[in-house]
Amino acid sequence: MGDIRKIRSAFIFLLLFFLPQAFFGQQLTNGTAPARELNLTLPNKEGSTRIMVFGDSGRGSKEQYELGALMNQYHQSFKFDTVLLTGDNIYYEDTPADMKKKFEDPYKPLLDQGVKFYASLGNHDNPNQRLYALFNMNGEEYYRIEKGGVSIYALNSTYMDKRQLDWFTAELAKDKAAWKIAFFHHPPFSSGKRHGSDEDIRKVLVPVMLGGGVDVVFNGHDHFYERIKPQDGLYYFVAGAGGKIRKGDIRKNSPLTEKAFDADLSFMLVEIAGDEMHFQVIARNGSTVDSGVIKRRD
Amino acid sequence: MMKTVRKCYILFAFLTFALALFLSRDSLGQAGNPVVTDFETRAKGYAKERERIERTMPPLSKQATPEEVAAHKEALAKAVQQARAGVKHGSIFTPEAAAYLKTVIAQQLDGPARAELRKEVLEAENKAVQIRVNYAYPQSQEFLEMPATLLMALPQLPKQLKYRFVGRNMLLVDRENLLIIDYMMNAVP
Repeated sequence: MGDIRKIRSAFIFLLLFFLPQAFFGQQLTNGTAPARELNLTLPNKEGSTRIMVFGDSGRGSKEQYELGALMNQYHQSFKFDTVLLTGDNIYYEDTPADMKKKFEDPYKPLLDQGVKFYASLGNHDNPNQRLYALFNMNGEEYYRIEKGGVSIYALNSTYMDKRQLDWFTAELAKDKAAWKIAFFHHPPFSSGKRHGSDEDIRKVLVPVMLGGGVDVVFNGHDHFYERIKPQDGLYYFVAGAGGKIRKGDIRKNSPLTEKAFDADLSFMLVEIAGDEMHFQVIARNGSTVDSGVIKRRD
Repeated sequence: MMKTVRKCYILFAFLTFALALFLSRDSLGQAGNPVVTDFETRAKGYAKERERIERTMPPLSKQATPEEVAAHKEALAKAVQQARAGVKHGSIFTPEAAAYLKTVIAQQLDGPARAELRKEVLEAENKAVQIRVNYAYPQSQEFLEMPATLLMALPQLPKQLKYRFVGRNMLLVDRENLLIIDYMMNAVP
């Protein structure tokens, strides 16, 4: 009798343990997620430039996969073709198996639909990621792309030497695009307790961006979302919650913060049409944690 | 009146020129400094040797798969290690270069205003890096951000090489095969 009870207990235990994993595990690997009501606040205008932004994602975690599935759901309604990765794209080992687990699989539905990911390098990234075809870096640590008349600069803030700064300055000087966006890992402005504002990068890079007419900057490194109050007319966003969240890391009452969210993972959707840039920040549970519109600098 | 105006223009041009000279001055005398010139020559020498080795290997496509990138990196690392077998610490960071660079680093990282930056350098997640010439910087270890203001002050390296801090030590690391080409102990004050 005792043996039968033990067997029954073991059976119930195994059932309770494996069933949820089987259910969620499959959902994590096939790019689907529990159906949520999507709430797109962007105008979704014909001919607009559509971008997704996030960073610090590459862990291969369950949460990353869930967020990836939600990104794909939004993509069905809002057809972005460009993703900007703000660095720390792949944490720790980056063998081919790691690239699959930490990048190719979580975003497979988007990759299969032709969405292009453009990476910048973070402090956890092997510099050889510039050679990885799916990061579209064309073998360079820093580069410029153009999407629908928007100039987008990927910079390597882990190694901001004179060569890179001179290149950036020269490119901006001849750039006639209406919108100029820069994205790189270390935030010149951030209310994070763990990292916070990178004053060294700020000192070197901000004058160049101001003088060169950059309109918007996207960064990572701090594992949360923050919209910074405009600094000399330049808009900054910390979008570093793509794979892990540092809860409670945003300093309360920071004079920099316009809006912030550090309770869960999130990603940004961006739509540029004419002189306006609309944005929407979506958390892992599908809720919108920030949205708005900014106008480009004159 | 015209003479006065002309004198003002000449004075203005002179002052602008003097200001430009002042602003472009090299505070540590890098330009023309024989120690810096020697250091840069040695660094370029490594880059040239590395390019020569790479020319003997099949080129890597810009559409390379992760497997191809990994294989190329391994092959390049092996080839460079063989070519540089027996190269000792100090081949690029000579004692004179190390002394000069420590002065530059001290200027940029010392003092209470730079305490936060120094703290980040010293607390990076790269303590497992074995500091030996011709050894690889492990991919699992953090590639700590090099302070931008410091990089502006240090001699410019060829693009194949990067300065890296591990603890208080500074390394020269090949950006592609991740080999430690040379190192300097106790570089950070």
